[in-house]
Amino acid sequence: MVSTHPAGTCPHKDAIWGVSWTPDDRVLSVSADGTIKQWDSGSGQVTRAGPRHPLGLTSLSTSQDGRYALFNSVEGLTQMWDLQSGNIVGKFESYARPTSGQLEPSWSVSLHPKATTYASCGGSGNVLVHSTEPVTFGQHRATLSTGRARFGLCCAYSPDGSRLALALETGQIYIFDAQALEVTATYTSHAMSIRTLSWSPDSSLLLSGSEDKRLILHDVRVSPSGKPGSGAVASLTGHSSWILSTQISPDGRLALSGSADKTVKVWDLSARAAVSTVQDTGEVWSVSWRPNPSGANVSGAFVTGGEDGHLRWWRAGGAA
Amino acid sequence: MGENVDRLRPTVEDEYDDTTSEGSTVNVDPKDEAVDGIEALVLSFLTQLDSALKPEETQEVGSGPTRSKKKIELRIANRTKQARDGTTTVRALKFPQRFRYASSRPFAQLFRVMDIVHEAVINEVPVTKRDIYYRHASLFKTQATVDRLVDDLAATFNVGRADLNVRASPKGLLCGSCIQIRLEDGNVITPSDSEACLIPHAEDIAVFDVDPELSWVLIVEKEAVFQTLCSSEFTRLPEIGRGIILTGKGFPDVATRVLVKTLASNLPETIPIMALVDGDPSGLSILSTYMDGSTAMQHENDKLAAGKRIKWVGIHLSELSRLGVGKDSLLPMTSHDEKKAMSMLLHDAPPYPDTWRKELVHMLHTRRKAEIEILASAHSDNSKHSGCPVQPLLSYLVNKISLFSTNATID
Repeated sequence: MVSTHPAGTCPHKDAIWGVSWTPDDRVLSVSADGTIKQWDSGSGQVTRAGPRHPLGLTSLSTSQDGRYALFNSVEGLTQMWDLQSGNIVGKFESYARPTSGQLEPSWSVSLHPKATTYASCGGSGNVLVHSTEPVTFGQHRATLSTGRARFGLCCAYSPDGSRLALALETGQIYIFDAQALEVTATYTSHAMSIRTLSWSPDSSLLLSGSEDKRLILHDVRVSPSGKPGSGAVASLTGHSSWILSTQISPDGRLALSGSADKTVKVWDLSARAAVSTVQDTGEVWSVSWRPNPSGANVSGAFVTGGEDGHLRWWRAGGAA
Repeated sequence: MGENVDRLRPTVEDEYDDTTSEGSTVNVDPKDEAVDGIEALVLSFLTQLDSALKPEETQEVGSGPTRSKKKIELRIANRTKQARDGTTTVRALKFPQRFRYASSRPFAQLFRVMDIVHEAVINEVPVTKRDIYYRHASLFKTQATVDRLVDDLAATFNVGRADLNVRASPKGLLCGSCIQIRLEDGNVITPSDSEACLIPHAEDIAVFDVDPELSWVLIVEKEAVFQTLCSSEFTRLPEIGRGIILTGKGFPDVATRVLVKTLASNLPETIPIMALVDGDPSGLSILSTYMDGSTAMQHENDKLAAGKRIKWVGIHLSELSRLGVGKDSLLPMTSHDEKKAMSMLLHDAPPYPDTWRKELVHMLHTRRKAEIEILASAHSDNSKHSGCPVQPLLSYLVNKISLFSTNATID
């Protein structure tokens, strides 16, 4: 892996906890310093910054077309940024006392690929679905319940929008049907906290990264008979500390993982092995592939954000 | 409704106003203020009671005794709320009230405490809060009730708890031969470098004698850490010069806080005063108690809050990876820790320093906290000097103290 671009001139002042490379070739980053920034991938520089929040931003999720960015702060202030207009189009205080329905401070948030709703998880172990309409932003629409009162660390909509995955602090993964609002599959491949989830682009695989230092690939295809997929099909080992973030590549062949062992690994999913390891200076909290690689010189590019607040740009050495 | 309500010590105030209006400084003994305050409250109660029991003048002849509609109300300070202009707000004890149980209990508790305190001040025999509780445990039910009433009375009369002649059993420990404490009764407490001694009550202390060789002061949160340092004679290590260590064994009592405040106010700026607490929300809360005081003792803050002189040495979550401590050694946060961390983050009167908030946010994000003992699992190759102690806690502190001592002399 080769690093491109020198470190940006406006790094974040604290750890970068979420990154997302959007189809318009820009990157969004959220940080413990309370800011969300937009970067141009050509120059590696910051082009825009959102309003500064007094507390750290812990979660970031973008719509499939890259138009909307949903982000959440540590105490549960969820906001949505319309990147076309540049305005904040939604603000929700999930920590405020609820007037009706079940509410809890949001921890991790996930925007529906078409930005029609968003999902959040937190202390209750349930997934709450919220409205993204400007007037009713954040309003509770549905609850997906696991029946287990354990902290939900991570939730993610599948790319086709039909399902939601939830990972708990105790290591279980729940898959919900987003329409029927029911659990369709449960996996207990990890016994320790799962901090990151990634769906494959065709929504057939789910990759989970855990504090047990492993990534596990799950087959989650829904067969016509309704039988859930076979579950854990591969275990990727090699990191020496917690897995903090992971993402499957746009062509589904590779996966990225950032770890508390201060390295980033690129894995070949069919070979179930790491093909590259990159050394960073601190914990690597967030990773994101470049979507839709087109043209010979941009295959396998990705961006990482870590403890030192610098965004790092990488591409595979030797163009494909 | 309000006609029988009495404000606190109106007559007492008037009396003293006359003497001070001439411009001379009259030293009012706070103990006298306490006694007068108690007597005024009792008088107020009796006056209201008498007035409530008087038959109504418009009562028809022969209609028999009727219940008086009048209520008795006593006002005492409410220490948990501060009015906008900084004066203490009051809360009212009313009798009778529509409770399921007898509403005379709060009054009975207040009067019993006042009775014991009055006796203690007049007879000059100190009592502890535990004594008060045990004298009538069935009335008070919990120690906390007594604690609250004693502090409320002190706040109401605007005196220190010690002026009510009520004291707590000393809890804090002190170690280091650079300091001597001379007591009012003539005894001298000389802590050694290897054995701790109890920090005596502030009112028993006449003067502190500090050796000019003293070069640092360290406050530690936990007794276990304190004992480790004591038994290694940490206060006498050649690398860092002589110092003193003290601990409040968790949340510090008043005696410990007074000692820290006295040191902070009187030691030259070149001597760093440092605090080592756990890397968790309660550690920061303890640090804040030393620096800014506690809500319960707000009214005595100028004697207890040591301010920015106290430096936060550690444990910082952010330095652990540099020290070689693995993430798996960290302890999970409990939901109590979470709530405390959130409330400290959202606290804005005044807001906590940015460095603290950053640590709290990181703690919440990793959902982990670090206790001081975690240093034992650090594989450090930080020993710079050959004579440096191998034990990770000691070498960690030696590095920090050297750092803070250098910074202090530069300032």
